[in-house]
Amino acid sequence: MLFVLYIWESFFSLLLNLTFTSLKMSWVKVLSHNGEDVFDECADDISLLSREWTSIMKKRVRDGYVDGVDAGEEASLQVGFKLGFREGAAQTAAVGRLKGIVSALLCWSRIQHPESASPASVTELLQQIAQYESTVLDGIRKALENPPPSVSSVSESMEDLEVEQANSSCCGEGCKETASGCCRGGEKMDLDAPNKQQKSSSGSTGCASSSSEGLNCLLQRCMDLVSELGLPQELNDHIQELKNLK
Amino acid sequence: MDGGSGNEDLFDGIVMADERFRGEGYREGFERGTHRGLQDGRRHGASHGAQLSTEISFYYGFSITWKCILQHKTDMKSRKRMKALQSLLDMIQNSPHDDPHSSTLQEDMDKLRAKFRQVCSMLNIPTDFKDYVRNSESTSF
Repeated sequence: MLFVLYIWESFFSLLLNLTFTSLKMSWVKVLSHNGEDVFDECADDISLLSREWTSIMKKRVRDGYVDGVDAGEEASLQVGFKLGFREGAAQTAAVGRLKGIVSALLCWSRIQHPESASPASVTELLQQIAQYESTVLDGIRKALENPPPSVSSVSESMEDLEVEQANSSCCGEGCKETASGCCRGGEKMDLDAPNKQQKSSSGSTGCASSSSEGLNCLLQRCMDLVSELGLPQELNDHIQELKNLK
Repeated sequence: MDGGSGNEDLFDGIVMADERFRGEGYREGFERGTHRGLQDGRRHGASHGAQLSTEISFYYGFSITWKCILQHKTDMKSRKRMKALQSLLDMIQNSPHDDPHSSTLQEDMDKLRAKFRQVCSMLNIPTDFKDYVRNSESTSF
């Protein structure tokens, strides 16, 4: 019995010794770990469970995300469509009218002089307007077919990289409108501004192909033509009006 | 390990967390989806709006020009033409083209096109010209 006590005591002193020796701190860990040996099996279970838990919760987040995307898309598609519809309509209103005007002039001059060919000035102008118009439409179509290096793809890959996307502080060049309405500037690039939109435009003779200058120039030529044909000034007022329509 | 109560908390936690995580994902997804829906919708809308506006604006410009040309003529024929032109212009101004979801949009457009054809025939505008105009006109409606 004494022997046992002695052993116990020496074990204890050894233990104390170890405890107070910083070098042996690891031992303490080992010891205390060993002390919990009983729970080891349980600990394994727990870590397994927590892994499983994490993966289940990740799946929940993903499921929620997918549902959220669908719901969000569904909720905003019509709003976006309506918005775009107006923007698109605004972009082609002026050039469409101008084309109607010059087409009417062409008809009129053909009726006035059925035997002679239509005046080159009219047909040429009409061609240029048509070209200008198709440039505008092409621009819109292109934006539809290949969306500009869109944020959605960029941000999605950022998402894959688990980079937090700061929607609220965006507004870079490629940045698009968000639900919160920040970044309209970015969007403007491809939809809002006819002026910018037509930068890539025609390159036909005469009028500058770029932006509003192009259209202004076409309008001016049309007004000149109206005067040349001796048509009422009122028509020129309508053409002048188109400058404000853009 | 404090047994029972811990487990209860855990179960509570599981139920709550399940919803919470799903909700988190949903919110994030909803934001992304809204964003994407707006963009896609906007691009498609722009394309449709531009096409429709091209056509309608064309009719408007065409009619307004003819109206200016004919306005001081007093003969019967011209007055009839003016009337038709005015009714075309009225149709354009009175139908709400800026609402793509309008239930009457298609109907309005059909009427508008019919009216335009009528106006053209009243003005004795040859069909080849109409063809030319309409071909260069977008109209894939």
